[in-house]
Amino acid sequence: MERKISYPLYALALLFSIIVFCIGVYVGNMIDQYNQQAIAKEVENISQKVASAQLLMLLDENGSSFCPVYSSQLDSINADVEAIGYRLSYLEDEKHVYDVPLKKSYFVLEAQSYLLSNRIKERCGDNSTILIYFYSNANCSSCRQQGFDILQARDDTLGKVPLVRIYSFDGDLGSPVANGLKAQFNVTQYPSIVINGALNSGTMSKDSIIAALKSG
Amino acid sequence: MRLLRMDAILLLNYSIAFFSLFTVFFFVLLFLRYRRHLTEAPAPAVDGLFPNVSIIIPARNEEAGIAGTIDSALGLDYPREKLDIIVVDDGSTDRTLEIARRYARDGVQVLTQENRGKGAALNNGIGCAKGELIATMDADSMLSTNALKEMLPFFQDPEVMAVTPAVKVRPEAGKLIVELQRIEYLMILFSRKLLSFIDSVPVTPGPFSLFRADAFKKVGMFDEQNLVEDQEICLRLQAANYKVRSSMTATVHTSVPKDMKSLLRQRVRWQRGGLRNYWKYKFLIRPEYGDFGMFFVPLNYLSIIAFFLILGLMINSVIASPYYTKYMLVDSYVLGLGLVTIIGALVLASTVLWLWLSVRAFKEKIPLQNLLLFVLFYWYLMVGYNVLTAVKEIRREPATW
Repeated sequence: MERKISYPLYALALLFSIIVFCIGVYVGNMIDQYNQQAIAKEVENISQKVASAQLLMLLDENGSSFCPVYSSQLDSINADVEAIGYRLSYLEDEKHVYDVPLKKSYFVLEAQSYLLSNRIKERCGDNSTILIYFYSNANCSSCRQQGFDILQARDDTLGKVPLVRIYSFDGDLGSPVANGLKAQFNVTQYPSIVINGALNSGTMSKDSIIAALKSG
Repeated sequence: MRLLRMDAILLLNYSIAFFSLFTVFFFVLLFLRYRRHLTEAPAPAVDGLFPNVSIIIPARNEEAGIAGTIDSALGLDYPREKLDIIVVDDGSTDRTLEIARRYARDGVQVLTQENRGKGAALNNGIGCAKGELIATMDADSMLSTNALKEMLPFFQDPEVMAVTPAVKVRPEAGKLIVELQRIEYLMILFSRKLLSFIDSVPVTPGPFSLFRADAFKKVGMFDEQNLVEDQEICLRLQAANYKVRSSMTATVHTSVPKDMKSLLRQRVRWQRGGLRNYWKYKFLIRPEYGDFGMFFVPLNYLSIIAFFLILGLMINSVIASPYYTKYMLVDSYVLGLGLVTIIGALVLASTVLWLWLSVRAFKEKIPLQNLLLFVLFYWYLMVGYNVLTAVKEIRREPATW
């Protein structure tokens, strides 16, 4: 038999596929933009929460009567900040959406809540451990795994060591806040982990992170 | 490096999404183009003459079904003197041979051989067949009385070498797994009929298929070593550029696996055999083979590749990002919405639509919950078939029936 190729069917299928694919890309981008806007709004809301906590602290300059309030506020702020961090990472890792301005705003928020943690530590004798994690999305192949190890180490030591508050910064994103903190702790390579002010340069295993958290 | 890897994953996701979309649209367009011709068949020959037909029934340990199968062949609405029924006992160790021999009084010829497999039994029967047309029939299938008469008119086209019927699943009360296969068979039938319009029928099903006797002289006999000899002979016919047609109205009921273990075994055999056959016939991917060479055969390769890529991407996603599922399960679903999920949902919706069209085309009644179970559960059993197939092929495990 003489075989044929159904060119019109392929052409139409291709055309419809391209149309639907483009619509899908467009709708997908709209959804991503909507998500980014929602995250930006949350960053703004949490910033206000941080600002009000700082204001409360200024008003109560020398006292410590509000310490339980600060502490619970800080817990709530940290939980919100961490949730935003996961969402931003998800957008980057799974959706390949890189919103640099939003990430920078997020770092400002993290730095604000880091400063708040420090002040509460000083003012209220809070014994939580502060862990600052410096990574690079562009120039560090082991950073992703290091991030997971830090979270895993925190989970594994939950209830065994004082509360661990984690703040993570992409040091190569050009964020002034991240750069300032890098300079403060003399961070020169990625990954680097600062635990209660002590710098650990290079990759740390989960066990060594746990050991560092235990030794405080 | 990491960004490069992520871009590669994104590109892969998008490519699979586009490929799925294209395939869906092609089949939908094929349906729209030929929807009015689904049940059409050439008019019966005006001279009213019936050709001699030999029906070959290979059987091995089929004591439960062989009598019903022979009865259904004898009950065909077809002049008895034009029918030549040959049962080939393939070394049965049960009462198959004894039961078949009882039909000698009805003119049924019974051949015996040492157990050499279905392909060898078919070839043995074909060697003794005198009909101008030769039907191959599984020993657990039942013909509707009009099956032959519905299939014959397709042979008026001298280029048609084989005709396939509508092979449906014989219902089994209370067997859900059988019911789900019943739905699957309807989908396969519907798709095969559409493929016949673009000369791309990929299999002449074992339960029943009708061949011109000349076909075996021209392309050779069944491959006795093949795991899915009914597919291999059809690919050989396609390679020789013969037409294979499909009838929607000639009904044949067949038995299917009644438990998960037998189903898995059957499907892994089909997959392994299919994989080997498409590799053997990879030379068909050429414009000279029309739609079959430029669409259907590549579609088989691409589907397998896409399947393992999707599986790999899913595993990668779970391994590489374990914290997303731990800390933000709901959030990840919301944030995950996008092109890939939109197209995924579209492909799923079109599968449901295809299912509905298939069931409707055959005017079958399927309970809604079974359709849902098919889409949400049964469909995903193929993950198991494919993975097991890959493992067995990689480990070069001997392939048996």
